[in-house]
Amino acid sequence: MRERVARAGPESASRLSRFQLLASAIAGRALDVAAALPGEASWTDGSTLFMAASPDASAADQVAALAVQASLIAAGSLEADIARRLRGRPALARRYLAIEGHRALASGEDLLPRPARSLIDRDAAARAGSPAASLALALGREAIPGPPPGFGVIRPHRLLASADRGRAAAAGPEGPLQPRRRQAESDRDPGDGTGDDGPVLKFFASSVGGQGALGRLLARMVRLGRDPTGGPVGAGASAKVRAALGPGGTGVRMAGAAGMLTETVTDRRHGMTYPEWDVYRERYRLNWCTVVEADPPPGDGASLAVPDADALRRPLARLGMGLDRCRRQFVGDDIDIDATVEARIDTLAGVSPDQAVYVDTLRRRRDLAVLVLLDISGSAAEPGSGGKSVHEQQRAAAAMLAAALHGLGDRVALYAFYSQGRSAVHFVRVKGFGDDLNALAMRRLGGLVPGAYTRLGAAIRHGAAMLEDRGGTSRRLLVVLSDGLAYDYGYERPYGEADSRHALAEARHRGTGCLCLSVGAGADPAALRRVFGTAAHASVAGPGQLGRVIGPLFRAALGSAELRRKGG
Amino acid sequence: MTWTARPYYLPVGNEERVFKAAFGQGMSVMLKGPTGCGKTRFVEAMAFDLGRPLITVSCHDDISTADLVGRFLLRGGDTEWVDGPLTRAVRGGAICYLDEVVEARQDTTVVIHPLADHRRQLPIDRLGVTLDAAPGFCLVVSYNPGYQSVLKDLKDSTRQRMIAIEFGFPPADVEEKILSHEAGIDQETTARLVRLGHAIRRAQAPGLREVASTRVLIAAGQLVAAGLPVRDAARAAIAGPLTDDPLITEGLIEMIDAYLAG
Repeated sequence: MRERVARAGPESASRLSRFQLLASAIAGRALDVAAALPGEASWTDGSTLFMAASPDASAADQVAALAVQASLIAAGSLEADIARRLRGRPALARRYLAIEGHRALASGEDLLPRPARSLIDRDAAARAGSPAASLALALGREAIPGPPPGFGVIRPHRLLASADRGRAAAAGPEGPLQPRRRQAESDRDPGDGTGDDGPVLKFFASSVGGQGALGRLLARMVRLGRDPTGGPVGAGASAKVRAALGPGGTGVRMAGAAGMLTETVTDRRHGMTYPEWDVYRERYRLNWCTVVEADPPPGDGASLAVPDADALRRPLARLGMGLDRCRRQFVGDDIDIDATVEARIDTLAGVSPDQAVYVDTLRRRRDLAVLVLLDISGSAAEPGSGGKSVHEQQRAAAAMLAAALHGLGDRVALYAFYSQGRSAVHFVRVKGFGDDLNALAMRRLGGLVPGAYTRLGAAIRHGAAMLEDRGGTSRRLLVVLSDGLAYDYGYERPYGEADSRHALAEARHRGTGCLCLSVGAGADPAALRRVFGTAAHASVAGPGQLGRVIGPLFRAALGSAELRRKGG
Repeated sequence: MTWTARPYYLPVGNEERVFKAAFGQGMSVMLKGPTGCGKTRFVEAMAFDLGRPLITVSCHDDISTADLVGRFLLRGGDTEWVDGPLTRAVRGGAICYLDEVVEARQDTTVVIHPLADHRRQLPIDRLGVTLDAAPGFCLVVSYNPGYQSVLKDLKDSTRQRMIAIEFGFPPADVEEKILSHEAGIDQETTARLVRLGHAIRRAQAPGLREVASTRVLIAAGQLVAAGLPVRDAARAAIAGPLTDDPLITEGLIEMIDAYLAG
């Protein structure tokens, strides 16, 4: 993205982005389209197609140039093993393109628009049956006419660099014990090595075992030293809070055999304990996590304006409705006996009777409680899309959701959460179920500062319990706004992901719908799926796009919970 | 609904044989496939072949059991029972087609359970009777697993009472035949429209929920047959209906221009 902005002005970028759909149709996968530098021929790095910006090129020429590069991607002509052979040999790359370009176009001919089909030289295309065969021909001595100018060029080193970046992004943070790096760091040239202390930590992680006692201790030592944010409570809070939680002041939630949780004692100010799923031993760790609720300090945070939630209001308006039996309707499933008797009396008395004599089942009553959980762990401070941090985007989304649901008359609460170890999972109240969505709530929201970590499972369990205790409706929905990066002390990625999935399943099992949204984090869909499992989840680029996905997601989450509740 | 001529349906696989076998055995049928791929037309053609009337119910999330089975109405001083579409089909031995059945509430769809399995009965609580389905009655439901699987799903107890036939978009040559029959346009335009449709089905854009179906391609073809230039027809019949997003609309227009120009 950054590269594109640097390469092309906003005007040409928006013009060329029109071609994205066409490019992805031909390439068979998502592909950005941007302008190449002046004087450059068209080329692609495998994820972005850079189009030659020639003022006198006709639309057909542009389409043809785009089709060639996109076809190369579709035909597997630019795979890493080929690119490695071509690296540093521009003449060979040209010879390869002269053959492979025709072969790639011909192999996807059925999908090509006409200007691109007219480029195909069938003799050249018939010479090779695969990228490897084209490469073999190109390596030979025989004379090969150069590729037509519209073919553009192949840039093997850029292809390889882009593939490396893609792999690094897919692998996520470099090691299980690494906190998420800032974008700028991870964007360094892959040739530089990973830098910092990554390999050292990785060594300990692998040799001692991420969940071994020594591994955890090391992780914690390193972590405490390098926590850059300090967090709202400070790094030492974990020990302090644990000390403050005497056995008497602790609420307990137990995991039963069926995974059902039953509440015993509650004392929210002092903390509630929840079990945690240990994926390695395949059983719950009872009373493992302590969740503490607190009001944020009346900080100096700037108050946010209550956002304009019109875009969300419409898709959400119908969802919270419960079914009611409504009497005295003009049409309906059954006859309303009282109304019928009255109508009959009226008729006999010579008065014109009321025609509304049916009972119908209508959606009238608002019957929905929603708890919006906002992840304010340190990873939310990362820069996200649109020049704003992930936190700012998630916060805006949370405010929009709360405003839309509140405006519709649903019971809605908004809490933020972060954690510092299992005994200090903090819930920060922005708006409780009973609170109004007023300037105080918006100031609390504006004052939130991201920091510390994400013990997602405990947060979900506590959120679901709050909904059941305080929601007060039969339809309940938990909305988690998070980048999906579950990480805390002794809560490494696979462990945290499994625990989060379990917590979501528990909530659904008790009839609370769960919905997970990643806003502006550019989260990897596969990673989100690992964390959120079968719960309804989506990743959107910014709060502005929520309106598009929110209706179906809410329906999905409520629908699956409803099935459970009715014992479907 | 009955027809004088067979509704046009071009088979892609063995779906006609499967349907007729299920009909012969008194089984219920579930049709799965994306919107606009020919599910409804298929049922119409089958109803014609089998010589049964077809009763279609488009399901929505406020449809109630009474809407399907029937209800009492007041006529003057008396109550009068009025059969719903499902009851009419059961009594008359018609094919009852519940279109987009997952849109209906779950408590509504359970009414079809005793009809869909070996009992072939429809209990009507309000009348205190249980109707045996007349010979020739067949229950057919359709749904679109693409966008609905996350939203809603059929209960397993409903699904397992039916046999399933999966529909996809037809291959290019079949789709060209369908298009030229339905829209009556020349072969070159047909081929271009089909090519455009296949390309849109391959394109990946987050805001594009549904792809260009055979139905929208036919609509574009019909506009062409009515004298509209092909690009205008495609913009009106394909780009507009598929999305409201201005960026994706631009992308679609670019594709339309690339595939249909010249």
